[in-house]
Amino acid sequence: MPNSEHIVSGFDRDLEGIQAQIMRMGGLVEEAIARATEALETRDGEQARAVRDADRAIDALEEQVNDEAARIIAQRQPIAGDLRTVLTVFRVSTNLERIGDYAKNIAKRTETIIESPPVNGSAASLRRMARQVELMLKDVLDAYIQRDVALAADVRARDRDVDQMYSAIFREYLTFMMEDPRNITTCMHLHFMAKNIERMGDHVTSIAEQVIYLVTGDMPDDDRPKQDATALSVGPRT
Amino acid sequence: MDDQLMTERRVDAHEIKITARGVQVYYGEKHALKDVDVDILANTVTAFIGPSGCGKSTFLRCLNRMNDTVAIARVEGDIRIDGEDIYDSRVDPVQLRAKVGMVFQKPNPFPKSIYDNVAYGPKIHGLARTKADLDRIVEESLRKAALWNEVKDRLKESGTGLSGGQQQRLCIARAVATGPEILLMDEPCSALDPIATAQVEELIDELREKFSVVIVTHSMQQAARVSQRTAFFHLGNLVEYGNTSKIFTNPDDPRTESYITGRIG
Ligand SMILES: Nc1ncnc2c1ncn2[C@@H]1O[C@H](COP(=O)(O)OP(=O)(O)O)[C@@H](O)[C@H]1O
Ligand SMILES: [Mg+2]
Repeated sequence: MPNSEHIVSGFDRDLEGIQAQIMRMGGLVEEAIARATEALETRDGEQARAVRDADRAIDALEEQVNDEAARIIAQRQPIAGDLRTVLTVFRVSTNLERIGDYAKNIAKRTETIIESPPVNGSAASLRRMARQVELMLKDVLDAYIQRDVALAADVRARDRDVDQMYSAIFREYLTFMMEDPRNITTCMHLHFMAKNIERMGDHVTSIAEQVIYLVTGDMPDDDRPKQDATALSVGPRT
Repeated sequence: MDDQLMTERRVDAHEIKITARGVQVYYGEKHALKDVDVDILANTVTAFIGPSGCGKSTFLRCLNRMNDTVAIARVEGDIRIDGEDIYDSRVDPVQLRAKVGMVFQKPNPFPKSIYDNVAYGPKIHGLARTKADLDRIVEESLRKAALWNEVKDRLKESGTGLSGGQQQRLCIARAVATGPEILLMDEPCSALDPIATAQVEELIDELREKFSVVIVTHSMQQAARVSQRTAFFHLGNLVEYGNTSKIFTNPDDPRTESYITGRIG
């Protein structure tokens, strides 16, 4: 898309403004994932609490971004690449807000499970999975701001790894629960957290698709096969 | 109105009404239109967009040989309507213009009654044999132009006494009265307020059922709203021609995108 300037320079400032807000939101969400999983691993209730509180700033930013984008539509009637920029801002802000919610949910569960004794080795694989999603998020934000379709496609492909990690974790927790029924409550919470992280990956993937749409004008349409062994197993579904 | 994409898809099946190949227009030395190839579909609204002076009106005027009236204009190339060469020496330009009606930027009703404005064309083309025939044509034309209900009780009043929007619809009725198949409109709403513009746009969508409509417009939103096909002209070239939703969401040519998004080219 042409990146020359608009004749009306206020339009350029508007578009830059909402994209800067997306990046700010993205930064807060990255931090939320990192701190939530750290709180889980270190069993730090105070930090978990802080993650919950910080989610309010993310929600407020989403509202701001959407108000601003709506104003731009009313005032500037964007079309073509400009329209895609604004539409993408709406969707990406929703994705980011949801990822923030999942981080908050992990923090909430952390506050609950640290009341009970730890299940040995359970947090490490969750941490690895969250780290993977965090890196994907970082890359997709880079892809967004640099309009990098190749990087976005790469992020999209990596979501398969997250799905596989989730299936592995699910089996691992089943084992823990069968070994010792006293683990069941904690492992159920842990399983929901894993599911939260898996859903974060889906939202990151959706952002990657938005980046591809933003640049090319087309949504990628080849269906990524979902790798989710639990779909065939008996287990709590969310 | 239907969903735009559905309408566009339905239009795909329409037959070609106008074929233009290698059209060049010169005004003296000035090469105003360069090698334009385009197929315009029947029962479709086609929008011509582009910066001022890029040749939109020039091309529009080729389609009913209005350029014949410009002494220094020279038209080359091949333009066919329903397969017939409109520049063939046997074609009478006056007859052609009855078949290819034109509506201009500024409403220009004759300083005559509303009735006479519409009756004028059918009379000179001998389309009505009796007064009853003529009455019927006038009523039908005014109905097609969505003006009948507003003027049926004052057909004897002067056309110039109508509001701007009504005058423009009167001019559309006048163009429709000679039974054309194609309607050319050169910025038909640029002198109208938003309400009158909306009424004319609504009308254009209805006219599509019976006519092939070609509209020049400077409003990108208008082109996006009323047309199914859009042609972008730039410096005398036809740069891009295609489905309107494609042109306005994801044009192929960077010049098109720069223009429609209001960027410095
Ligand atoms: N009658 C004319 N005599 C000389 N030059 C003309 C005449 N009409 C148009 N032109 C020139 O041809 C070019 C295309 O004009 P026009 O078709 O009116 O553009 P548009 O409708 O896209 O604004 C312009 O450079 C204009 O100055
Ligand atoms: Mg013009």
